[in-house]
Amino acid sequence: MAVCTVYTTQSLNSACSISTPTKTHLGFHQKQVVLDSTGKITSKKGSSSSSCVITCSVDHSQTVVIGLAADSGCGKSTFMRRLTSVFGGAAEPPKGGNPDSNTLISDMTTVICLDDYHSLDRTGRKEKGVTALDPRANNFDLMYEQVKALKSAIAVEKPIYNHVTGLLDPPELIKPPKILVIEGLHPMFDERVRDLLDFSIYLDISNEVKFAWKIQRDMAERGHSLESIKASIEARKPDFDAYIDPQKQYADAVIEVLPTQLIPDDNEGKVLRARLIMKEGVKHFSPVYLFDEGSTISWIPCGRKLTCSYPGIKFSYGPDSYFGHEVSILEMDGQFDRLDELIYVESHLSNISTKFYGEVTQQMLKHSDFPGSNNGTGLFQTIVGLKIRDLYEQITASKTAAPLEATKA
Amino acid sequence: MATLSSLNLVTPRVVANVPDSTKGSPVKVPYVNQPWKRLSQLASRRMQVIRPVRAAPDSISEKVEKSIKEAQEACSDDPASGECAAAWDEVEEISAAAGHARDRKKENDPLENYCKDNPEAEECRTYDN
Repeated sequence: MAVCTVYTTQSLNSACSISTPTKTHLGFHQKQVVLDSTGKITSKKGSSSSSCVITCSVDHSQTVVIGLAADSGCGKSTFMRRLTSVFGGAAEPPKGGNPDSNTLISDMTTVICLDDYHSLDRTGRKEKGVTALDPRANNFDLMYEQVKALKSAIAVEKPIYNHVTGLLDPPELIKPPKILVIEGLHPMFDERVRDLLDFSIYLDISNEVKFAWKIQRDMAERGHSLESIKASIEARKPDFDAYIDPQKQYADAVIEVLPTQLIPDDNEGKVLRARLIMKEGVKHFSPVYLFDEGSTISWIPCGRKLTCSYPGIKFSYGPDSYFGHEVSILEMDGQFDRLDELIYVESHLSNISTKFYGEVTQQMLKHSDFPGSNNGTGLFQTIVGLKIRDLYEQITASKTAAPLEATKA
Repeated sequence: MATLSSLNLVTPRVVANVPDSTKGSPVKVPYVNQPWKRLSQLASRRMQVIRPVRAAPDSISEKVEKSIKEAQEACSDDPASGECAAAWDEVEEISAAAGHARDRKKENDPLENYCKDNPEAEECRTYDN
């Protein structure tokens, strides 16, 4: 049953005749009708045209909102690409809009970068001497208003922060998607925004790994040296520890990345240890487990049935306490060298919300060129992506059940 | 492996007050107009700029360099100040943008895109051994 909702952009004044969302029953096809208001369309300079858009689609009056927090250079983009791939389709910037837009849109998902809610542009921050990590550089009121609007299926005009020029560009129209992902430095900082999130993830990268990743990213740039990369990380550390790091206590899932423990005195930083910390008791989210839920397991899959090359793979799973919450921690140390290692591991994990046997492996192979595809970071990102799909399906199932109940009565 | 820009080593604090637009030009022009001078300068400097094979589009790369220099200047006065942190934050932001631009440029390789769809085509054959 399709329900039509009327979207009005937030910047509208009362000149538009339709101001409250109404629900009518129309056909299944998506149609967009642009209505003129009864009077003339008053187009103010610089703002969007005030028009009403009626879009008929399957009811998703409650968009599922996912929050992803991480420092810059920490794998958010990779995670986004894996996540959108789980739902199918590639996410692309909005066509025909600002080429420097940070937004990614696919069929099911829209990814919004929270840098767009900076209240100070680069020069403004330089004058005030604040980093982008500082809450004073971000407009949390606007962030809350717009995420709330998108969650209630109202389109918004979202500002654009241009990372190339460092300026705030004119806003772009964002239509409410089925799944909204807000990624950035502060998705869980503001309490009101936090309450809007259906699921939240924090990428916690340890200092040594962060340093290694930034070297990989920046050493190709002339101008950068080891000293400058190190200085950059250290200068941002106080603000990071004060404002960004505390968000991990609110996250439903934390992916922690640390140097490996399998190689003594390892300083290459190629082999990583990834930990997936999953909060217990989160609605629609059941943690992944190994062998037996709630017990503590240590597992080395390499042996008679599976031969691995050095340093091998080591898993562990167990319950724990994290910032006062009950959590389950699944940990993987080491690398996948071969396809059959990945399949073997997948067949022993439980509650991974796959639709068919080998789905995790298939997803990992599909993106074998992404960083982390041969270790726990890619594995856990893929698993969290599947968990989010499962969460979304549970939420939409519970919502379609409710109106059916109402029509029966 | 450290890629050190010769500009960092060779241009000392002397040029710190010179506005950015002219900072680069005294060094660049001789290379273009008088290539023989480049050879002699190559000999005189131990460290030469090792141009990376694949870098971000030039404007962003220049921004990265400029921002690093500005950050180093800002922090030379007071390493614990907000200005220093803001300057290095800017470096981080521009480096991230440069990284993304580099990845996007990588994705726009027409041969790679063609081979993704047609791995069995003649042009896409790979020889591993």
